[in-house]
Amino acid sequence: MRGVMLMSGGIDSPVALSLMLRQGHEMVAVHMDNRPFTDDSPFAKVTDHLALLRARHGQPIPLYLLPHGPTQVTLMRTTDRHVGCVLCRRFMWRAAERIAEREGASVLVTGEALGQVASQTLSNMRSATAVVRLPIVRPLIGMDKHEIEAMAKELGTYGISIRPGVCCQAVPDRPATRSSLVQIDRQESKLDVDGIVDEVVRRATVL
Amino acid sequence: MRLCAGGGAFEAIPRPRLELNLAEVKLRLEAAGFSVVDARVMLLLKRGSEATLSRDGRILIKTRDPEEARRILDDLVGRLGLPPPAGP
Repeated sequence: MRGVMLMSGGIDSPVALSLMLRQGHEMVAVHMDNRPFTDDSPFAKVTDHLALLRARHGQPIPLYLLPHGPTQVTLMRTTDRHVGCVLCRRFMWRAAERIAEREGASVLVTGEALGQVASQTLSNMRSATAVVRLPIVRPLIGMDKHEIEAMAKELGTYGISIRPGVCCQAVPDRPATRSSLVQIDRQESKLDVDGIVDEVVRRATVL
Repeated sequence: MRLCAGGGAFEAIPRPRLELNLAEVKLRLEAAGFSVVDARVMLLLKRGSEATLSRDGRILIKTRDPEEARRILDDLVGRLGLPPPAGP
C-alpha cells in the first residue's frame, strides 16, 4: 500500500511513520511549512527524522514541502479564531489528499493520538477530516504520551523532536475543543477554499 | 522577557494586557524599516530577526540569543511607547 504521511517535526509523526514502514508500506511524506508562524526548526526536524528513517527502513520516502503560512494569514484575517486549529487542519488534509492523488497513494496517515492537544479531540478530528475522502490511518490513536515517547527514544527520533523551536504562533488563546460541521462550514464559506489549496499544491517542493 | 515554551524564541507579556491598534502600529513600524504582515490579531515583523506582536501587546522574538532579543524588544517598546516589560 502507498500512503501519504503528515510530518510535523514533533514526537509522534516519525513513530507513526516508522510503524507504517515496518509493515512494508511505501510512504511519501508531507510537511506543511508553517513559517512565519514558526521558525526553521520544524522543517529541519522533519528532514532529520526522514534521514534517520530512510536509512533504517531502506526506503526513499520523498518529502513534499507545502507552504502553509499564507493560508494561516488568510484564516486569521477572515475567520473566527476560536476554530482556527480545526480550519488549519482541514487545509492540511486537503493538501495532503491532493498530494496522495498525485502520488497514487490510497491512504493518509498521521501521528495523532486522542486528546493530546486541542485539535485531537474526536469532535475536532471529525470536523477536520470531513473534507477528505481517502481513508485515514492513525497508528498511535490509542497510545498514551509515555508509550509514544518510549518508542521515539528507541527509534532515535526523540532527541531530534525535542530540539528547541518556536511553537505555532497561530494557535488561538482558547482553541475550540468541540466544533460542529455547521460552524466550520459557515467560516469556510468566507474563503476561496479551492483557490487556496490549488496555490499551496502549485507551490509544492519535492525534496 | 523569558524563553518561550518551545525554547526557540523569547517572549515578553505585558501586565496588564494591552489593546493595541495594529493598523496604526503597522504604519509606524513600516516607516521604521520593518517588513510587516497584518494577520488581524497579530503583526508578523521582520527586520533582521523575525518577531510577532499580538493585539494584547505580547511580543515574541525568534532568536535564541538573549542579547539580540533584548535589543529588539527595547527597540519595539521604545518605538511604540509600550510599558517596559518586567523581568531580566
